[in-house]
Amino acid sequence: MTTKLFYDLFALAVFAVVIVVGVPFLMGFDGFELNTFARYLALGIVSLALALSWGSAGLLNLGQAATFGMGSYAMAMHLKLKASGDALPDFMGWNNVPELPLIWIPFHSLGFTLLAGLLVPAFVGGLIAMFMFRARIAGVFVAIITLAFLVAFQLVVIEQQGITGGQNGLTGLAPLSLLGWSVDTYDVSFYYLVAGCLMAAITVGLYLTHSKFGLILRAIREDADRTRFFGYNVANYQTVIFCISAALAGWAGMLYTLVLEFASPTYMSVSFSLAIVIWCAVGGRDSVIAAAIGAIIVNLLEGRLSDVFVEGWNLMLGVIFVLVVMFIPRGLHGLIGDLWKALNNQSHKQRANEAEPKLQPQPVKSGQEK
Amino acid sequence: MAQLQVTDLHVDFGGLRAVDGLSFNVNEGEILCLLGPNGAGKSTTLDLICGKTQPTSGSIRFEGTDISQLLEFRRARLGIGRKFQVPSVYKELTVAENLSVARSRSPGIWHALTRFSLSDGRVAAPILERVGLEARASEIAGNLSHGETQWLEIAMLIAQDSRLILMDEPTAGMTIQETARTAEIFRSLSTSHTLIVVEHDMSFVRTVADRIVVMNRGAMLAEGTIEEIETNDDVKTAYLGH
Repeated sequence: MTTKLFYDLFALAVFAVVIVVGVPFLMGFDGFELNTFARYLALGIVSLALALSWGSAGLLNLGQAATFGMGSYAMAMHLKLKASGDALPDFMGWNNVPELPLIWIPFHSLGFTLLAGLLVPAFVGGLIAMFMFRARIAGVFVAIITLAFLVAFQLVVIEQQGITGGQNGLTGLAPLSLLGWSVDTYDVSFYYLVAGCLMAAITVGLYLTHSKFGLILRAIREDADRTRFFGYNVANYQTVIFCISAALAGWAGMLYTLVLEFASPTYMSVSFSLAIVIWCAVGGRDSVIAAAIGAIIVNLLEGRLSDVFVEGWNLMLGVIFVLVVMFIPRGLHGLIGDLWKALNNQSHKQRANEAEPKLQPQPVKSGQEK
Repeated sequence: MAQLQVTDLHVDFGGLRAVDGLSFNVNEGEILCLLGPNGAGKSTTLDLICGKTQPTSGSIRFEGTDISQLLEFRRARLGIGRKFQVPSVYKELTVAENLSVARSRSPGIWHALTRFSLSDGRVAAPILERVGLEARASEIAGNLSHGETQWLEIAMLIAQDSRLILMDEPTAGMTIQETARTAEIFRSLSTSHTLIVVEHDMSFVRTVADRIVVMNRGAMLAEGTIEEIETNDDVKTAYLGH
């Protein structure tokens, strides 16, 4: 609906003002604080990527962390090569790798790295999606297959120590230089780079959900069979949204590596993947903006609370998830929507109550009007 | 040549012969009514034509192409639309969005990616007017009454604009007035569409049917105009059990 588009654009504008002006101001333009916040924004992108496949199309991808990890490793490989100069990356020496593996060579180029960080996740996601959706696999089986892929993928990454750095991941990275600008991750400009990426990702997400493509995805989510009888190739639609979602996750992964200055196989862990689902659910999977905000809120809480409750935090996160699923299945976004409706109804009722006595003396007239 | 040719169609559901050697033709612009007692295989026949069910043997030719092995979305693209017995509209979408989904002349992804979700508004408005839902365009379909839901699905089929439309009990749950209006719409549709209608309401059948096929136990029992069917002894036996 146009009103819905207006509502979404308004929300985007408010969100942009908060992120671009509000947050840096609150943090006193402190580079260190903003670096932490940039981390939340990067995670917001992966959360909104999940909202596209899970919220729009009803495909719960529990392997989102795998595509996130691919992006993060792509960026880390580039920065590791830069840090190593002409020499072999240090960990390869420790693992008796004689020369740079073929797969690493193109990552010398930043252009290739950026493309690979988007396209490799999209390709892998698309491949899995094609096998699943051509076979008309749906519902919980999508979650199981993607989860199984994630576990297998993380195992391979840890196993291939000579290429991936194994359990340690890729550390000791050089700073990124982008068009002659050396990115200092503790500078305000870096925060704006990540914030800009998040805004761009939200815009992509909003465009998709408001296009006819997004409408067909919602139709597929509700009744895939009915949609086939209208001539839509449901498997293709599902595959494309899976690819886009994976590419956005890869994008988020690249930024995440920049923020933290290392890539680790924990980015591809089951717990991280489930955390993405929780952020998305808390924010509200029906809206890409809400999903991003969900990631920011939960991570903000985690940042504050996990220092206090080191062991208890995961338990609290689990409880939050259960409560959200039980009581606000459509997340904060749904809750706000319901409250808004309730308030509207309340004021309508009040107005009706106030108007009633005035109408009573002339019931005949109001009848005639009809 | 007939638009749809069904030849010696069989389908087994784990030993149950739901359709057993059925053959019939449908001509372009015709309204064919499928009649028969419960379990005669009428809905299954529609399922076979639209691709919801795969036949065990036999052939279905639509405009000269053998479609019996095609996936359902390919048959839809060839020009076959289906209305189900239980109204199946998208309850979470608005009425206008339902029509936009149904308007599937270009079902490809690229087309969908480059259009806004309600880009078919100009097509939708007159169709909604035709079924009397113009005031409900932005209503969530789940909030419609049963009758309105039936209308919406009919509107969706008009928007889809298939050359062959399969209707499974389109007037179920409608009032007499609504049924009459449906009959009117069907008559006007048949100028540019072919319709196969499964229906129990005999007065409705009498109004719309050009031709009738009576099925019993998965096979054709009789075929002809309404007068021929009403005087057919086999039909009387099948319905009354003598």
